[in-house]
Amino acid sequence: MSSRGSLMFLLHAHLPYVNHPQDSSFLEENWFFEAVVETYVPIISALERLAAEGIRPGVAISISPTLGAMLENEALEAKLQLYVESRLELLEKELERAQNEPTLLKTVSLYQKLYLEAAELLHKYSGDLITPLKALQHAGQIEIITTAATHAVLPLLARPEAVRAQLAVAAEDYADRFNCKASGFWLPECGYEPRLNSYLKLSGFNYTFTESHSVEFASTLAPNGVYSPYRTSNGVGLFARDAASSREVWSAQFGYPGDPAYREFYRDFGYDGNYDYIRPYLGTDGVRRPLGLKYYRITGSGADLSAKQYYDPDAAMARVEAHASDFLARRMKQTDDFYAARGTRPLIVSCYDAELFGHWWFEGPAFLETVIRKIRVERLPLQFVTPSEYLNSCQEPAELTPGISSWGENGYFDPWVNETNDFIYPAVYAATDKMIETANRFRNQDLSSLSARALNQAARETLLAQSSDWAFLLYIGSHSAYAKGRLEDHAANAVKLLGEVIEKRVDEQALAALEQKNSVFPRLDFRVFASVSKF
Amino acid sequence: MPELSKPLPAEDRMVLLPKNPGTCYVFWQFSSGRAEAFRAGAFAPEVELRLACVEDGSRSSVIKADWQAGRAYLPVPSQGRTYKAALCAQRGGAWEKILESNIKASPAAAGMAQERAYASLEFHKKVLS
Repeated sequence: MSSRGSLMFLLHAHLPYVNHPQDSSFLEENWFFEAVVETYVPIISALERLAAEGIRPGVAISISPTLGAMLENEALEAKLQLYVESRLELLEKELERAQNEPTLLKTVSLYQKLYLEAAELLHKYSGDLITPLKALQHAGQIEIITTAATHAVLPLLARPEAVRAQLAVAAEDYADRFNCKASGFWLPECGYEPRLNSYLKLSGFNYTFTESHSVEFASTLAPNGVYSPYRTSNGVGLFARDAASSREVWSAQFGYPGDPAYREFYRDFGYDGNYDYIRPYLGTDGVRRPLGLKYYRITGSGADLSAKQYYDPDAAMARVEAHASDFLARRMKQTDDFYAARGTRPLIVSCYDAELFGHWWFEGPAFLETVIRKIRVERLPLQFVTPSEYLNSCQEPAELTPGISSWGENGYFDPWVNETNDFIYPAVYAATDKMIETANRFRNQDLSSLSARALNQAARETLLAQSSDWAFLLYIGSHSAYAKGRLEDHAANAVKLLGEVIEKRVDEQALAALEQKNSVFPRLDFRVFASVSKF
Repeated sequence: MPELSKPLPAEDRMVLLPKNPGTCYVFWQFSSGRAEAFRAGAFAPEVELRLACVEDGSRSSVIKADWQAGRAYLPVPSQGRTYKAALCAQRGGAWEKILESNIKASPAAAGMAQERAYASLEFHKKVLS
């Protein structure tokens, strides 16, 4: 059946750079381990299954440079393996414990399958999950794009040099990791302002994504609303996020993830289990923490955590099937309505945080796989397209300058600029300004190896200080002390290193320790922060 | 209210950032010489933060703050325009412009609908509530 419209899925995969090589059980490193087991492995496995069946997924995935660095970090890979082995050991015991509880037993078995799948995939690719992603892209099954070097909210970086550094480092990082040039760029937090057009173009990116209302409040009328791509005045392609399809999947309140049959995220065995029984699986501090084993279902909206009922994997999978059908029926109605009104086939662009699928919404990867498979199996008049494919085949997009916007709460920059986190910006700007000033001073000088290393590490620290994650964690009140500490450390490290270079007294031992810990962007050259006239 | 726990280099700096269509955020720092002048009473302790529209030069909003406050939110009366902030202090009864910010565009139009809200945040809010 011919297509009545196109669907574009963009999964944005990002985690802040968390690497604590001196600590064997650092709490925040679990973000990475949990995301690998619950999100990245299930998504990669689903994509590989579909490809093996001859069903081309055709989704786009944005891999943030910080996540890419963690996925390739051998020390983290080793810790990840221990994490998976530890969970499998606990699950063996849990199978015994659940023998007389059939519903619980099904869930424990499901978790065992999940962790075994992770262990197998990690073994297959020697711990490096970039390899299968690269292979899927090389085979034309998916398209991988990048985002800002450390996921800075770009409209909050006032210095042009800082924006240029975030984009240039990301472009170079992508080329090193995926052996090709990145076509697309995901704006962190979908944060857009028109001045970014020139930076995107000059860094070689062909397209980006913006939030729905950036098009609604564009400088000129967007003829097809969010249902077609546009281009900036300098030729960068723009895809606008479709609000309806996003809401159905995003929203815990209105969307599919809030279904009573789905797994409850917040009730974790790390808090429920007998302390002595689970103690070997907690961190060295012995404090209860999530273990990633969650045996209950949402049960009902507003239900107290203690009133949750056991999760039933079969019931949840039945809801996945129903939700996938509902999602596709709604997309077909959307395309039919648009076609009836405008006489052209629409493009529906659905952008999600990848970690929503699996980590937050446990059944998300199954939903994604079911949606893609159903289009083929049920011969639905929809097709998945990647951004580059669409731009290569569509008519010349109309020119548009979208409005300033983000996909954050209320649509602008409130989550990253408010009274819980605004105190961080003086530190971010102190490091950034000093970095630019020092890069300009030393850009054309012959430098000793030690000075060059210190300047390059200062550039890494500056980039890490600019990450959106610290402001966001402070805003939501989660891991606030860690976020504040990281921000302060990176800004202070940058300022200190730059001062040491200027005063010709670099502490090599301290520098080496920072290089080991904050080891992103191995080829980074501090001159990326220098002012250049073309911008 | 949280504060930084590590000292920053003492430099004159004023930065204007967008928050939403109706509000922008400004922060400032003083060099040690300037801070000393305030401490010595050369400037009155209460400063004015003035937001001006770059397109037509009109003054858009003014708020008063203590020179040591370091940050403030300024109302933006006309959405979708470009602004610059200045910090002015009184010396001998006359106002002096001491710091000037970068130029920043303000978003246009009202916020997006609640149901479009950022999903990860929804999950986080749930645990906080």
